[in-house]
Amino acid sequence: MDPWVILRRCGTAVLASALILAANVAWAAENEVTIMHYFTADIGGAGLHPIFDKFKKETGITVVDSPIGHEDYKTGILVRAAGNSLPDIFSEWAGARTQFVVDTGKLEPLDALWAAQKLDSVVAKPVAASATIYNGKRYLIPIGYHYAAVFYNAKVLKDAGVTTTPKTWDEFVSMCKTLKGKGVTPFALGTKNRWPGQFWFDYLLLRTAGPEYRAKLVAGKASYTDPEVKKAMALWKDIVDAGFFGENSNADDWTDAADKVAKGQAAMTLMGTWITGYWTQNGLKAVEDYDFFDFPTVDPSVPRVAVGPVDGFVISAKGKNLEGAEKLATLIISDVDLQINWAKTQGALSPNVNVPTSAYTPVMERAKESVATAAAFNFNYDLANPPSVADVGLNMFAKFMGGTNDINALLEETQKEAADAFKK
Amino acid sequence: MATRENFWRFALLAAPVSVFAVFVLWPMFDSFRYSLTDWNGFDDSPRFVGLENFRRIFTDPLFFNSLINTAIWMGAALAVPTIGGLALALLLDSRVRGARIFKSIFYLPICLASVVVGQIWIWIFQPDWGLLNEAIRSAGHLSPKQFHWAWLAEPRTALACVILAWSWQQTGLNMVIFLAGLTSIPSELLEAAAIDNVPDWKKTLYIVLPMLRPATAVAVALSMIGALKTFDILYIMTGGGPFHSSDTLALFMYNESFQKYKMGYGSSISVVLFLICVVIIVAYFRQVGKLGEIYD
Amino acid sequence: MTDASQRAAPSGSPLRRAAIFVALVVLAGLFLAPTVGVIFSAFKTTRDISLGELWSIPSRLFLGNFAVVLEKPEIYVYLRNTFIVAISASLLSITLGSLAGYVFAKLPFFGSELLFLLFVSGLFFPPQIVLIPLFKMFNGMGLIDTLWALIIVHTAMGIPICTLLMRNFLISVPDALRESALVEGVSEWRILLFVVLPISLPALAVLATLQFTWIWNDFLWPLIMVQSDEKRTVMLGLVFLRGQYSVAWGIQGALALLASLPTLLVFLFFQRYFISGMTMGAVKG
Repeated sequence: MDPWVILRRCGTAVLASALILAANVAWAAENEVTIMHYFTADIGGAGLHPIFDKFKKETGITVVDSPIGHEDYKTGILVRAAGNSLPDIFSEWAGARTQFVVDTGKLEPLDALWAAQKLDSVVAKPVAASATIYNGKRYLIPIGYHYAAVFYNAKVLKDAGVTTTPKTWDEFVSMCKTLKGKGVTPFALGTKNRWPGQFWFDYLLLRTAGPEYRAKLVAGKASYTDPEVKKAMALWKDIVDAGFFGENSNADDWTDAADKVAKGQAAMTLMGTWITGYWTQNGLKAVEDYDFFDFPTVDPSVPRVAVGPVDGFVISAKGKNLEGAEKLATLIISDVDLQINWAKTQGALSPNVNVPTSAYTPVMERAKESVATAAAFNFNYDLANPPSVADVGLNMFAKFMGGTNDINALLEETQKEAADAFKK
Repeated sequence: MATRENFWRFALLAAPVSVFAVFVLWPMFDSFRYSLTDWNGFDDSPRFVGLENFRRIFTDPLFFNSLINTAIWMGAALAVPTIGGLALALLLDSRVRGARIFKSIFYLPICLASVVVGQIWIWIFQPDWGLLNEAIRSAGHLSPKQFHWAWLAEPRTALACVILAWSWQQTGLNMVIFLAGLTSIPSELLEAAAIDNVPDWKKTLYIVLPMLRPATAVAVALSMIGALKTFDILYIMTGGGPFHSSDTLALFMYNESFQKYKMGYGSSISVVLFLICVVIIVAYFRQVGKLGEIYD
Repeated sequence: MTDASQRAAPSGSPLRRAAIFVALVVLAGLFLAPTVGVIFSAFKTTRDISLGELWSIPSRLFLGNFAVVLEKPEIYVYLRNTFIVAISASLLSITLGSLAGYVFAKLPFFGSELLFLLFVSGLFFPPQIVLIPLFKMFNGMGLIDTLWALIIVHTAMGIPICTLLMRNFLISVPDALRESALVEGVSEWRILLFVVLPISLPALAVLATLQFTWIWNDFLWPLIMVQSDEKRTVMLGLVFLRGQYSVAWGIQGALALLASLPTLLVFLFFQRYFISGMTMGAVKG
């Protein structure tokens, strides 16, 4: 055969292949959305895979999934960011962490999307107000949130003769005394990984000093040596000294503390609603085995604030498939069925106002009500503070639970370190 | 002659040197340059701050805390897993029944994933129902109320406990190295000693140990470097706590870089860590080199 | 050839041998305790472990954890990936380390000590500090989310220890071996391949065992370099069995035991190469 014919045919084949390849690559980019998150294990998959499947059915776009355990998640995201290879859409905890990423300029503002999809009428107001706006623009789409409250073992309380849950601090203390009198440790607290202690600090401070003061503290505009903080710590010290917490809090993880309550070795633990997911996994039943009450009021003139984390997704400004990422985010928050599934599988609360009551256990429904009727929704300490400051505070709580008699010295040390951390 | 040898030097080193230079050396020095910036991992153009990070290191109490803990760890690394590995190898060297099973038992720890190893040791040190406290209580006829020391939650014992868990794994590693080293001892020497009726302990001290020098060097180097770099087990068991009492340089560096997003500062810590290693290893090899001359 | 465990036969008195045996049994018992804990955890439900019953001898063996693990199709993909990476990277790093170790031991030159030290310095830093530079590099090469990235990284990271061990071992191999071969006109690489390496079997066996174990158990590089499920290694799979707010003790125990088998088998396999006397035999002959 004429060599030129062969050459021409080869050339055509090569050109055709290149075009097809290029088209494939472009098509692949359009038809893929990369996502990175920390919802690992079967539980995470149970919540997310239905979303990805439905997304693919509705839009034809495949979601390239990349879960990382949340301990390593911060490392993973950092490496991706440093390598200029952030996924199209990824998880972040609302609050200071998202603020940090927003400030690096690597996120896409979502105001246009928010307005176009009318998310104002979909997302619960307290969550939308606190979790989605940074530097005046929307950046985060929430997927679920949790509420921190006092979860208790129903049988233990019943056996001890406690019939009503406390609403005020005095009722609270007297209930603890009753429990202790019957030989039950009132509280389990597992501060091995430090963070569980933060809820105590958060609520004590919020109930005595109020949300405006706390906002100042987490912004570095108030001091840990202020009388407000001292008052909250004094209350905490009272109940620790009264023996309401078991020993060796620093030896237990939050799951160990939850196990103690489940076993009846302690009556209550101050923890987020995810504990219901954990307990359900271990075979406990809502209302029958466990229930909760809101952290009691200390000062009746101070408005009641709800504390909890918001899990959300942010979209990378330079991702390969911005449009696809936005569609996915919309689906995540707006689809009621998917949100119901999310709430059920994660033991979380849905920020979607259209989710019916039937989606929740009675316990979770009441939790939702508590948040809805609260004056404000605040993020817990380690999400409200910038990372280095959060570290200082968490250390303080762990030191406190490890047994410190000189609160003032502890607070001064904390203030010094926090001031340093705020500066950098 | 010389050019032929040079040809081989070049030919044989070409591949290792290039792979090493491209994928190890260059990234290492690339990361070192961040130590001169205040990079947070996200910025596209980090700000140059000169030696500011290094100045901060030398006034940072956390740095000295982790330095001391690392030094303690390295000392323990010399004592426990190195000597332990040697002892095991010597014990297993004599014809003993079931040597293979014993070796497997001692090597198995390093075969287990660190996430599980960390967790199992947490369960050993658990104050209320952990294995250690159960054993202590039954030995001393104590009730749980009387003895529930929280090994990992007490600053005084946390570091020792993690080092113990690490040694549990590292000893098997060293055992393997010493077992291989023992094979290079000529059997004639040992047979001659037996014929001369040299007692066992003398044989071990004057024949076996000196001939194990190269293996010892490797085992010591690995143990010390392991002490410097160990991360997984420490992170899982204590995370550096309580209150930084088990914080080592490697963990400290990780926390600063990846948890607090202070890559610049973390990088400078790794530079210091690197320099410390260099000093130690150079000193060690100088020492070993001198002793080696005596034996030649 | 004598097996290492047979060498001391003539000199051990029965009392001494018994004492050694007892010592080994005691040590083995101590060493086994945590391992037994892992085994227990694999045969109990996560719930039982949460309730504090880990250390009690199980009345029945719960096989559900193993069932869950073995029924997950991903696990086999993870295992396959880990095998590919561990075997390739071990072979490559040992090869490169042997080449370099040979030069440093037998063909030293002005500055070779320094170069050797440079190689060894690759051990001196925690791998976390090169996470980002290497990620960027592989990203630029389009190798992220491939097994190649893992193979290359582990090969490169393994060169220092392989070089160190081979060089130290080869220094103790008599120069006479090489010199007599040179006199007979054997070229250098043949000397390396057919004279030196066969003698180095104990060192190679050690490296094979250690490298395989380290690479198999590594968690950090797969975490960073791999994104999609098909490229995961078994260690990643193990860690991610735990959810954000859930624990999976039983399944993790089961998978950990299964995942420890390859490294244990490799160790047992290479035991036979811890042979002594080859050096002496070669010189005499």
